[in-house]
Amino acid sequence: MDKEMKILIVDDFSTMRRIIKNLLRDLGFNNTSEADDGQTALPMLKSGKFDFLVTDWNMPGMDGLTLLKTVRSDEELCDMPVLMVTAEAKRDQIVVAAEAGVNGYVVKPFTAATLKEKIDKIFQRLEA
Amino acid sequence: MPKESSYLTEQYMDRLDDLTAAMESGDNQQINQLVSELTTLRETSLYQDLGMLTREIHDTINSFASDDRIAELAQEDIPDAKERLKFIVTKTDEAAHRTMTGAEETVAMIDAFNDRAEVMRNRWRQFRNRELSKQEFVELNQDLDHFLEEIGDESQAIHGKMTEIMLAQDYQDITGQMIRQVVNMVQEIEEKLVILVTLSGGAVCKVEEPEIRAAETAEGPQLPSASKDKVAQSQGDVDDLLASLGF
Repeated sequence: MDKEMKILIVDDFSTMRRIIKNLLRDLGFNNTSEADDGQTALPMLKSGKFDFLVTDWNMPGMDGLTLLKTVRSDEELCDMPVLMVTAEAKRDQIVVAAEAGVNGYVVKPFTAATLKEKIDKIFQRLEA
Repeated sequence: MPKESSYLTEQYMDRLDDLTAAMESGDNQQINQLVSELTTLRETSLYQDLGMLTREIHDTINSFASDDRIAELAQEDIPDAKERLKFIVTKTDEAAHRTMTGAEETVAMIDAFNDRAEVMRNRWRQFRNRELSKQEFVELNQDLDHFLEEIGDESQAIHGKMTEIMLAQDYQDITGQMIRQVVNMVQEIEEKLVILVTLSGGAVCKVEEPEIRAAETAEGPQLPSASKDKVAQSQGDVDDLLASLGF
Protein backbone atom coordinates (compact mmCIF):
# COMPACT_ATOMS: atom_id res chain seq x y z
CA MET A 1 0.00 0.00 0.00
CA ASP A 2 1.39 3.35 -1.07
CA LYS A 3 1.54 5.69 1.94
CA GLU A 4 1.86 8.64 -0.43
CA MET A 5 -1.52 7.95 -2.02
CA LYS A 6 -3.92 10.87 -2.29
CA ILE A 7 -7.00 10.46 -0.11
CA LEU A 8 -10.21 12.50 -0.17
CA ILE A 9 -12.21 12.64 3.08
CA VAL A 10 -15.88 13.60 2.62
CA ASP A 11 -18.04 14.37 5.65
CA ASP A 12 -20.36 17.27 6.46
CA PHE A 13 -19.09 17.46 10.06
CA SER A 14 -15.70 19.13 10.22
CA THR A 15 -14.89 17.43 13.55
CA MET A 16 -15.31 14.02 11.91
CA ARG A 17 -13.13 15.06 8.95
CA ARG A 18 -10.43 16.12 11.40
CA ILE A 19 -10.72 12.84 13.32
CA ILE A 20 -10.38 10.76 10.13
CA LYS A 21 -7.57 12.98 8.85
CA ASN A 22 -5.63 12.58 12.12
CA LEU A 23 -6.19 8.83 12.24
CA LEU A 24 -5.01 8.52 8.64
CA ARG A 25 -1.93 10.58 9.52
CA ASP A 26 -1.23 8.20 12.40
CA LEU A 27 -1.39 5.37 9.88
CA GLY A 28 1.20 7.18 7.76
CA PHE A 29 -1.12 8.77 5.21
CA ASN A 30 -0.34 12.47 5.04
CA ASN A 31 -1.66 13.28 1.59
CA THR A 32 -5.30 14.01 2.42
CA SER A 33 -7.87 16.55 1.27
CA GLU A 34 -11.35 17.29 2.57
CA ALA A 35 -14.81 18.00 1.16
CA ASP A 36 -18.08 18.58 3.01
CA ASP A 37 -20.46 16.76 0.66
CA GLY A 38 -20.67 14.87 -2.62
CA GLN A 39 -21.22 17.97 -4.71
CA THR A 40 -17.98 19.52 -3.49
CA ALA A 41 -16.16 16.19 -3.64
CA LEU A 42 -17.02 15.29 -7.22
CA PRO A 43 -15.15 18.08 -9.04
CA MET A 44 -12.20 17.50 -6.69
CA LEU A 45 -12.20 13.79 -7.56
CA LYS A 46 -12.42 14.55 -11.27
CA SER A 47 -9.54 17.00 -11.31
CA GLY A 48 -7.44 15.88 -8.34
CA LYS A 49 -6.14 12.41 -9.27
CA PHE A 50 -7.18 10.88 -5.95
CA ASP A 51 -6.33 7.26 -5.12
CA PHE A 52 -8.80 6.60 -2.33
CA LEU A 53 -12.15 8.01 -1.22
CA VAL A 54 -13.38 7.94 2.39
CA THR A 55 -16.96 9.18 2.58
CA ASP A 56 -19.84 9.64 4.99
CA TRP A 57 -23.34 8.72 3.78
CA ASN A 58 -25.76 11.22 5.33
CA MET A 59 -24.82 14.66 4.03
CA PRO A 60 -26.80 17.63 2.73
CA GLY A 61 -26.39 18.36 -0.97
CA MET A 62 -25.14 15.14 -2.52
CA ASP A 63 -25.10 12.22 -0.07
CA GLY A 64 -22.40 9.55 0.08
CA LEU A 65 -24.42 6.86 -1.67
CA THR A 66 -25.10 9.13 -4.65
CA LEU A 67 -21.42 10.08 -4.67
CA LEU A 68 -20.47 6.38 -4.66
CA LYS A 69 -22.86 5.62 -7.54
CA THR A 70 -21.61 8.64 -9.49
CA VAL A 71 -18.00 7.52 -9.00
CA ARG A 72 -18.83 3.97 -10.10
CA SER A 73 -20.57 5.21 -13.24
CA ASP A 74 -17.77 7.59 -14.18
CA GLU A 75 -15.39 6.22 -16.80
CA GLU A 76 -12.29 7.62 -15.15
CA LEU A 77 -13.24 7.22 -11.50
CA CYS A 78 -15.03 3.85 -11.57
CA ASP A 79 -12.10 1.84 -10.19
CA MET A 80 -11.47 4.10 -7.20
CA PRO A 81 -11.57 2.27 -3.86
CA VAL A 82 -14.28 3.73 -1.64
CA LEU A 83 -14.60 3.32 2.13
CA MET A 84 -17.86 4.42 3.68
CA VAL A 85 -17.60 5.70 7.25
CA THR A 86 -21.14 6.34 8.40
CA ALA A 87 -23.69 6.22 11.19
CA GLU A 88 -26.15 4.46 8.84
CA ALA A 89 -26.40 1.05 10.48
CA LYS A 90 -29.59 -0.44 9.04
CA ARG A 91 -28.98 -3.81 7.43
CA ASP A 92 -30.96 -2.78 4.32
CA GLN A 93 -28.71 0.24 3.93
CA ILE A 94 -25.50 -1.77 4.25
CA VAL A 95 -26.79 -4.11 1.53
CA VAL A 96 -27.63 -1.12 -0.70
CA ALA A 97 -24.12 0.31 -0.21
CA ALA A 98 -22.58 -3.08 -0.99
CA GLU A 99 -24.66 -3.37 -4.15
CA ALA A 100 -23.61 0.13 -5.17
CA GLY A 101 -20.00 -1.06 -5.07
CA VAL A 102 -18.54 0.13 -1.79
CA ASN A 103 -15.17 -1.47 -0.90
CA GLY A 104 -15.45 -1.16 2.87
CA TYR A 105 -18.06 -0.07 5.41
CA VAL A 106 -17.28 1.31 8.87
CA VAL A 107 -20.07 2.29 11.27
CA LYS A 108 -19.67 5.28 13.55
CA PRO A 109 -18.58 5.47 16.27
CA PHE A 110 -15.47 3.56 15.26
CA THR A 111 -11.98 2.97 16.60
CA ALA A 112 -8.59 3.73 15.07
CA ALA A 113 -7.99 -0.04 14.87
CA THR A 114 -11.21 -0.61 12.87
CA LEU A 115 -10.31 2.10 10.38
CA LYS A 116 -6.82 0.63 9.94
CA GLU A 117 -8.19 -2.89 9.55
CA LYS A 118 -10.69 -1.88 6.84
CA ILE A 119 -8.16 0.16 4.88
CA ASP A 120 -5.63 -2.68 5.06
CA LYS A 121 -8.28 -5.13 3.89
CA ILE A 122 -9.36 -2.96 0.95
CA PHE A 123 -5.80 -2.59 -0.35
CA GLN A 124 -4.84 -6.20 0.34
CA ARG A 125 -7.76 -7.24 -1.83
CA LEU A 126 -6.92 -4.74 -4.54
CA GLU A 127 -3.28 -5.73 -4.60
CA ALA A 128 -4.00 -9.49 -4.57
CA MET B 1 -73.34 27.95 -2.44
CA PRO B 2 -73.34 30.52 -5.31
CA LYS B 3 -76.49 28.89 -6.71
CA GLU B 4 -78.20 29.07 -3.33
CA SER B 5 -77.07 32.62 -2.71
CA SER B 6 -78.28 33.84 -6.14
CA TYR B 7 -81.61 32.14 -5.42
CA LEU B 8 -81.76 34.00 -2.11
CA THR B 9 -80.85 37.31 -3.77
CA GLU B 10 -83.67 36.77 -6.24
CA GLN B 11 -86.06 36.12 -3.38
CA TYR B 12 -84.92 39.32 -1.63
CA MET B 13 -85.32 41.33 -4.84
CA ASP B 14 -88.87 40.01 -5.41
CA ARG B 15 -89.91 40.87 -1.84
CA LEU B 16 -88.28 44.32 -2.02
CA ASP B 17 -90.07 45.11 -5.31
CA ASP B 18 -93.37 44.02 -3.74
CA LEU B 19 -92.57 46.00 -0.58
CA THR B 20 -91.94 49.19 -2.59
CA ALA B 21 -95.25 48.68 -4.39
CA ALA B 22 -97.10 47.99 -1.12
CA MET B 23 -95.63 51.13 0.50
CA GLU B 24 -96.57 53.27 -2.48
CA SER B 25 -100.17 51.96 -2.32
CA GLY B 26 -100.18 52.17 1.52
CA ASP B 27 -101.15 48.49 1.96
CA ASN B 28 -100.10 48.02 5.59
CA GLN B 29 -101.13 44.39 5.78
CA GLN B 30 -99.03 43.60 2.71
CA ILE B 31 -96.09 45.59 4.14
CA ASN B 32 -96.19 43.59 7.41
CA GLN B 33 -96.45 40.35 5.48
CA LEU B 34 -93.44 41.22 3.28
CA VAL B 35 -91.26 42.44 6.18
CA SER B 36 -92.04 39.18 7.95
CA GLU B 37 -91.04 37.19 4.85
CA LEU B 38 -87.81 39.17 4.52
CA THR B 39 -86.94 38.35 8.15
CA THR B 40 -87.54 34.67 7.50
CA LEU B 41 -85.33 34.89 4.41
CA ARG B 42 -82.56 36.54 6.43
CA GLU B 43 -82.72 33.78 9.04
CA THR B 44 -82.64 31.11 6.33
CA SER B 45 -79.46 32.53 4.78
CA LEU B 46 -77.88 32.85 8.22
CA TYR B 47 -78.64 29.21 8.99
CA GLN B 48 -77.26 28.21 5.59
CA ASP B 49 -73.98 30.06 6.23
CA LEU B 50 -73.76 28.55 9.69
CA GLY B 51 -74.41 25.13 8.22
CA MET B 52 -71.63 25.58 5.66
CA LEU B 53 -69.19 26.69 8.34
CA THR B 54 -70.10 23.76 10.60
CA ARG B 55 -69.62 21.36 7.71
CA GLU B 56 -66.20 22.84 6.87
CA ILE B 57 -65.04 22.59 10.47
CA HIS B 58 -66.40 19.07 10.73
CA ASP B 59 -64.59 18.02 7.54
CA THR B 60 -61.34 19.58 8.68
CA ILE B 61 -61.54 17.94 12.09
CA ASN B 62 -62.31 14.63 10.39
CA SER B 63 -59.37 14.93 8.01
CA PHE B 64 -57.19 15.94 10.94
CA ALA B 65 -58.35 12.93 12.93
CA SER B 66 -57.79 10.57 10.03
CA ASP B 67 -54.25 11.91 9.36
CA ASP B 68 -52.17 8.83 10.27
CA ARG B 69 -49.02 10.93 10.47
CA ILE B 70 -50.33 12.68 13.60
CA ALA B 71 -50.87 9.36 15.34
CA GLU B 72 -47.42 8.29 14.19
CA LEU B 73 -45.91 11.51 15.54
CA ALA B 74 -47.59 11.03 18.91
CA GLN B 75 -46.99 7.30 19.24
CA GLU B 76 -43.59 6.91 17.63
CA ASP B 77 -41.76 10.10 16.73
CA ILE B 78 -42.17 12.01 19.99
CA PRO B 79 -41.14 9.06 22.21
CA ASP B 80 -38.34 8.41 19.70
CA ALA B 81 -37.22 12.05 19.93
CA LYS B 82 -37.21 11.77 23.72
CA GLU B 83 -34.98 8.70 23.42
CA ARG B 84 -32.72 10.56 21.01
CA LEU B 85 -32.41 13.53 23.36
CA LYS B 86 -31.63 11.20 26.27
CA PHE B 87 -29.06 9.44 24.09
CA ILE B 88 -27.49 12.83 23.23
CA VAL B 89 -27.19 13.63 26.95
CA THR B 90 -25.54 10.25 27.59
CA LYS B 91 -23.27 10.53 24.55
CA THR B 92 -22.06 14.05 25.37
CA ASP B 93 -21.57 13.02 29.00
CA GLU B 94 -19.48 10.01 27.94
CA ALA B 95 -17.45 12.12 25.50
CA ALA B 96 -16.75 14.77 28.14
CA HIS B 97 -15.59 12.07 30.59
CA ARG B 98 -13.49 10.30 27.97
CA THR B 99 -11.83 13.61 27.11
CA MET B 100 -11.30 14.55 30.73
CA THR B 101 -9.95 11.11 31.67
CA GLY B 102 -7.57 11.26 28.71
CA ALA B 103 -6.41 14.75 29.66
CA GLU B 104 -6.03 13.87 33.38
CA GLU B 105 -4.04 10.72 32.62
CA THR B 106 -1.84 12.60 30.16
CA VAL B 107 -1.16 15.36 32.68
CA ALA B 108 -0.29 12.75 35.34
CA MET B 109 2.07 11.01 32.90
CA ILE B 110 3.77 14.27 31.93
CA ASP B 111 4.13 15.30 35.60
CA ALA B 112 5.69 11.96 36.58
CA PHE B 113 7.92 12.15 33.54
CA ASN B 114 9.00 15.66 34.45
CA ASP B 115 9.85 14.53 38.02
CA ARG B 116 12.06 11.73 36.69
CA ALA B 117 13.69 14.15 34.24
CA GLU B 118 14.42 16.54 37.12
CA VAL B 119 16.19 13.75 39.08
CA MET B 120 18.19 12.84 35.98
CA ARG B 121 19.13 16.46 35.37
CA ASN B 122 20.48 16.76 38.95
CA ARG B 123 22.53 13.58 38.69
CA TRP B 124 23.84 14.66 35.30
CA ARG B 125 24.84 18.04 36.79
CA GLN B 126 26.63 16.19 39.60
CA PHE B 127 28.50 14.16 37.02
CA ARG B 128 29.56 17.28 35.11
CA ASN B 129 30.72 18.86 38.37
CA ARG B 130 32.73 15.68 38.98
CA GLU B 131 30.75 14.98 42.14
CA LEU B 132 29.96 11.34 41.34
CA SER B 133 31.92 8.28 42.42
CA LYS B 134 32.83 5.67 39.82
CA GLN B 135 30.05 3.39 41.07
CA GLU B 136 27.55 6.28 40.96
CA PHE B 137 28.61 7.08 37.40
CA VAL B 138 28.03 3.45 36.33
CA GLU B 139 24.57 3.62 37.89
CA LEU B 140 23.84 6.94 36.19
CA ASN B 141 24.89 5.45 32.89
CA GLN B 142 22.45 2.57 33.28
CA ASP B 143 19.63 4.80 34.53
CA LEU B 144 20.16 7.22 31.66
CA ASP B 145 19.86 4.36 29.17
CA HIS B 146 16.70 3.26 30.85
CA PHE B 147 15.34 6.82 30.92
CA LEU B 148 15.95 7.34 27.20
CA GLU B 149 14.07 4.12 26.49
CA GLU B 150 11.24 5.35 28.68
CA ILE B 151 11.00 8.58 26.66
CA GLY B 152 10.06 6.52 23.62
CA ASP B 153 7.51 4.43 25.53
CA GLU B 154 5.97 7.44 27.26
CA SER B 155 5.68 9.36 23.99
CA GLN B 156 3.82 6.40 22.49
CA ALA B 157 1.50 6.26 25.50
CA ILE B 158 0.83 10.02 25.38
CA HIS B 159 0.18 9.75 21.64
CA GLY B 160 -2.37 7.01 22.43
CA LYS B 161 -4.10 9.16 25.04
CA MET B 162 -4.26 12.08 22.60
CA THR B 163 -5.78 9.85 19.91
CA GLU B 164 -8.36 8.73 22.49
CA ILE B 165 -9.20 12.39 23.24
CA MET B 166 -9.52 13.08 19.53
CA LEU B 167 -11.78 10.07 18.94
CA ALA B 168 -13.99 11.15 21.83
CA GLN B 169 -14.95 14.17 19.71
CA ASP B 170 -16.91 11.92 17.36
CA TYR B 171 -19.90 12.66 19.60
CA GLN B 172 -20.32 15.93 17.73
CA ASP B 173 -21.12 14.14 14.46
CA ILE B 174 -23.41 11.51 16.01
CA THR B 175 -25.34 13.91 18.26
CA GLY B 176 -25.41 16.59 15.57
CA GLN B 177 -27.20 14.20 13.21
CA MET B 178 -29.62 13.21 15.97
CA ILE B 179 -30.38 16.82 16.85
CA ARG B 180 -31.16 17.48 13.18
CA GLN B 181 -33.63 14.58 13.23
CA VAL B 182 -35.37 16.00 16.31
CA VAL B 183 -35.43 19.50 14.76
CA ASN B 184 -37.13 18.08 11.65
CA MET B 185 -39.75 16.38 13.82
CA VAL B 186 -40.40 19.56 15.82
CA GLN B 187 -40.84 21.40 12.53
CA GLU B 188 -43.39 18.85 11.39
CA ILE B 189 -45.31 19.15 14.68
CA GLU B 190 -45.22 22.92 14.27
CA GLU B 191 -46.88 22.57 10.85
CA LYS B 192 -49.60 20.36 12.31
CA LEU B 193 -50.16 22.83 15.14
CA VAL B 194 -50.51 25.64 12.61
CA ILE B 195 -53.40 23.67 11.10
CA LEU B 196 -55.04 23.46 14.52
CA VAL B 197 -54.64 27.18 14.97
CA THR B 198 -55.96 28.07 11.53
CA LEU B 199 -58.86 25.67 12.11
CA SER B 200 -60.30 28.06 14.68
CA GLY B 201 -59.96 30.86 12.10
CA GLY B 202 -61.79 28.83 9.45
CA ALA B 203 -58.85 28.60 7.03
CA VAL B 204 -57.34 25.23 6.18
CA CYS B 205 -53.69 24.59 5.32
CA LYS B 206 -52.54 21.78 3.11
CA VAL B 207 -50.04 19.38 4.61
CA GLU B 208 -47.52 17.72 2.37
CA GLU B 209 -47.51 13.95 2.24
CA PRO B 210 -44.69 12.48 4.34
CA GLU B 211 -41.80 11.13 2.31
CA ILE B 212 -41.56 7.40 1.89
CA ARG B 213 -38.47 5.98 3.52
CA ALA B 214 -36.34 3.66 1.43
CA ALA B 215 -33.05 1.91 2.12
CA GLU B 216 -31.43 4.45 -0.21
CA THR B 217 -32.33 7.31 2.08
CA ALA B 218 -29.81 8.22 4.74
CA GLU B 219 -31.49 8.29 8.13
CA GLY B 220 -28.63 9.12 10.44
CA PRO B 221 -27.65 7.27 13.59
CA GLN B 222 -30.02 4.68 15.03
CA LEU B 223 -30.71 4.41 18.74
CA PRO B 224 -28.95 1.56 20.56
CA SER B 225 -32.43 0.20 21.37
CA ALA B 226 -33.28 -0.23 17.64
CA SER B 227 -34.38 -3.68 16.44
CA LYS B 228 -31.42 -6.05 15.98
CA ASP B 229 -33.09 -7.61 12.95
CA LYS B 230 -33.07 -4.32 11.08
CA VAL B 231 -30.07 -2.45 12.47
CA ALA B 232 -26.48 -3.58 12.79
CA GLN B 233 -25.48 -3.15 16.43
CA SER B 234 -21.73 -3.18 15.94
CA GLN B 235 -18.94 -3.18 13.37
CA GLY B 236 -18.94 -6.98 13.83
CA ASP B 237 -22.56 -7.14 12.63
CA VAL B 238 -21.67 -4.99 9.61
CA ASP B 239 -18.71 -7.24 8.78
CA ASP B 240 -20.86 -10.39 9.10
CA LEU B 241 -23.52 -8.95 6.83
CA LEU B 242 -20.96 -7.88 4.22
CA ALA B 243 -19.25 -11.30 4.47
CA SER B 244 -22.62 -12.95 3.75
CA LEU B 245 -22.75 -10.82 0.57
CA GLY B 246 -19.37 -12.12 -0.50
CA PHE B 247 -17.20 -9.30 0.82
